[in-house]
Amino acid sequence: MAMVLSGGGGEALSVLTAERAVSAVPFGGKYRIIDFVLSNLCHSGVTQVGMLTQHVPTSLHDHIGAGRAWDLDRRGGGVLILQPYLTRSQAGWYRGTADAIAQNVDILENARPEMVLVLSGDHVYRMDYRTLVETHEDRRAAVTMAVTKVRPDESHRFGMVTTDEEGRVQSLLEKPERAETPWASMGVYLFETAVLLDRLRSRPTNLVLDVLRPMIDSGDRVVSHEFDGYWEDVGTIGSFYRANLELLAPEPRLELHDPRWPILTRDEERPPVRVREGARIEQSLVANGCTVSGTVRRSILFPGVTVGAGAEIVDSIVMADVTLERGARVDRAIVDKYTRVGERAVVGHGDGPADPKLAWLGGLALVGKDALIPAEARVGRGAVIGVGARPSDFAEAALPAGAAIPSRAWYEGGA
Amino acid sequence: VSRYAYILAGGVGSRLCLLSERRAKPAVPFGGKYRIIDFTLSNCVNSGIYDVGVLTQYRPTSLNQHVGTGRPWDLDRTHGGVQLLPPSLGHLDSDWYQGTADAIYRNLIHLRRRRTEHVLILSGDHVYTMDYNVLYAFHAANKAAMTVAVTTVPDEAINQFGILETDSEGRVTAFLEKPRQARSRMASMGVYLFDRDSLIRWLLEDAAMPDSSHDFGKDILPRLVARGEAVYAYPFKSYWQDVGTLDSFYQTNLEFLSDEPPIDLADPDWVIHTQSADRPAVRFDPGSRVETSLVANGCRIAGRVVRSVLFPGVVVEAGAEVRDSVVMHDTFVGRGAVVDRAIVDKGVHVAPGVVLGAGGATAPNRACPEHLSSGLVVVGKSARLPEGVTIGRNARVGAYATEADFTGDVPSGGVVDGPESMH
Repeated sequence: MAMVLSGGGGEALSVLTAERAVSAVPFGGKYRIIDFVLSNLCHSGVTQVGMLTQHVPTSLHDHIGAGRAWDLDRRGGGVLILQPYLTRSQAGWYRGTADAIAQNVDILENARPEMVLVLSGDHVYRMDYRTLVETHEDRRAAVTMAVTKVRPDESHRFGMVTTDEEGRVQSLLEKPERAETPWASMGVYLFETAVLLDRLRSRPTNLVLDVLRPMIDSGDRVVSHEFDGYWEDVGTIGSFYRANLELLAPEPRLELHDPRWPILTRDEERPPVRVREGARIEQSLVANGCTVSGTVRRSILFPGVTVGAGAEIVDSIVMADVTLERGARVDRAIVDKYTRVGERAVVGHGDGPADPKLAWLGGLALVGKDALIPAEARVGRGAVIGVGARPSDFAEAALPAGAAIPSRAWYEGGA
Repeated sequence: VSRYAYILAGGVGSRLCLLSERRAKPAVPFGGKYRIIDFTLSNCVNSGIYDVGVLTQYRPTSLNQHVGTGRPWDLDRTHGGVQLLPPSLGHLDSDWYQGTADAIYRNLIHLRRRRTEHVLILSGDHVYTMDYNVLYAFHAANKAAMTVAVTTVPDEAINQFGILETDSEGRVTAFLEKPRQARSRMASMGVYLFDRDSLIRWLLEDAAMPDSSHDFGKDILPRLVARGEAVYAYPFKSYWQDVGTLDSFYQTNLEFLSDEPPIDLADPDWVIHTQSADRPAVRFDPGSRVETSLVANGCRIAGRVVRSVLFPGVVVEAGAEVRDSVVMHDTFVGRGAVVDRAIVDKGVHVAPGVVLGAGGATAPNRACPEHLSSGLVVVGKSARLPEGVTIGRNARVGAYATEADFTGDVPSGGVVDGPESMH
């Protein structure tokens, strides 16, 4: 049985997570981030899955549906969405990762699996969890945590792990400036069910701080499992962009094409890519349902993107059903679903911002979903356009780096 | 109102040559990711018909696999859904299906269990989108016993179709099977709506006639018209195409590349559903040059593709060129190879340097001259073409042919046979 933590709001992903959970963010031309974990579970033979959701979950729930795409629509087990709920005595928002599981402890008590896999739904990787079970059983662990090597300058983003010679975890530091080892926790934990249930009794909030670290400190058998495959935390704009564009390398580290380990997703049944006369497409991933009359270079196009004649997409990620009208240009940008870029408008204009406060944008322009960008507009690199922006929001035709149009709520009208 | 449709999907489709040699015609791939039957199945569910029987007979494996439990069409249902109806044993007069009407007749037990007022009978061989509700409304408004959907064909094509003549009310006054001359250009689309009880009566009557070929088009329809039954013709105005020959199959595929394709495959209100494999987005490598083409998920293109339809998983290596061709699933086109005006079935290996479709069409195909003479080259499923070989126009390479089956270049009209026994 697996419990997937997919309730995170991921503030660092800005407008991409304004109206969806991190797990539901589109990735790799046709997937959502959660597809990687759900495909791992499916291919590893895990058929009981609880999905813990909280932050704007509609998009995620829509995507998962009854779990059909992953063969998780089952008579026994299958996928179960676990949302926060009320009881007579308490308001039940999930206060943290451990609290989310604790509030659903009855699921575990009823199913009584021998082991529980606790996973983050926010990471991109392909892993056979059966190898984790092997390590766990060989080492008679109370908890086995998967770890992966990260670069020293990245340790501040991760939980860093030190182990003894036998792989027993000795310390787990959250986001240290400097780490003693290259091993970062992947957010993949295999618990003995009894151990987890016991720890949850004290109503911990955070899985790392209030469960794992006390276990390490009290000498419980917390064992590491070294994983040397591809693993990415795409929780920041920079890492999200990089991980997507890395798929365009001649031999990408993340294999999407493996027939033995297909990445399963909800299929939208779109026609093949329509490449029209005069089109030019190079070094790009373009999904079914796209129609390309213009130019696409070093970019990722999700299903249903329309690139008008003379329009151009370069070094960008463009999500489902975005339309570029004639002569529009998207250059070093991330453009979310359903957005319309008007004729000759430019998204990703000028140089990247020098201001270190805008470094998180990695020199990209960011456009939230459902935005209408008027013809001729100039959206600078380092500018952020909120969800549902309307032409009237563009008081000036040019938005420089650092400019931001706030997201509109769904109930706000607009011309 | 509950509705029921039969789809006739057992035809041999011999004019499609290699494409339907090892699969029934409705299972022939079409349009970059579909099978021909997807259009009819999608028409059914998009029209609200969720109880469908598919009559199979000829080489049904591919079709059975494709239809499966009916999931892509939401036809995997507790009540109704899709049911495959192959010929069966255990009746007094069990036999193979002799004709289209016989196929339904031999499923009378099945039909009698369906207590619907009407029965829709469809062909699984055609490419069109149609809301059958309009047909039902037309049928009811005319108090028809049988309604036949008709489409207007060009004068020179009437000899390929069953032609109906009607009075000013749309009541059919004459039926002519593949006539040389007629007063009408209205061709039967193989879409019939019957009153159920009348249909059962007529099927029993036809079955008892020893000289009948038990076919709706050849026997039942002419008989009903001659007898003055209330048979009406419903004029269908939109696109309809019989892709029964290699030339029409090829041209119809390429029509989808035009600025105004005959059917909007991206229409969200009329989705053409199919069994989609989980394949990643199309990968265009540096240096790729693709124009005026349909390219499905799972393809990887490093070379040049012009005016072609590529099904999922096709690989076109750098320096290779695919022009004016239809290339099916998982075919590999190696470095420097040229594929020109060809229909290439699934899983074919086109080795580096192969030229497929070379020179002029100097001779029709030796084995099937009547079906392969317009200059197309046809390669059957999983064939392996040896490095550097040149294959002329109107040539045919059989399914599962290997490098060893080639003795050298293949001239225009040439034939390379694969093994007989492989499926």
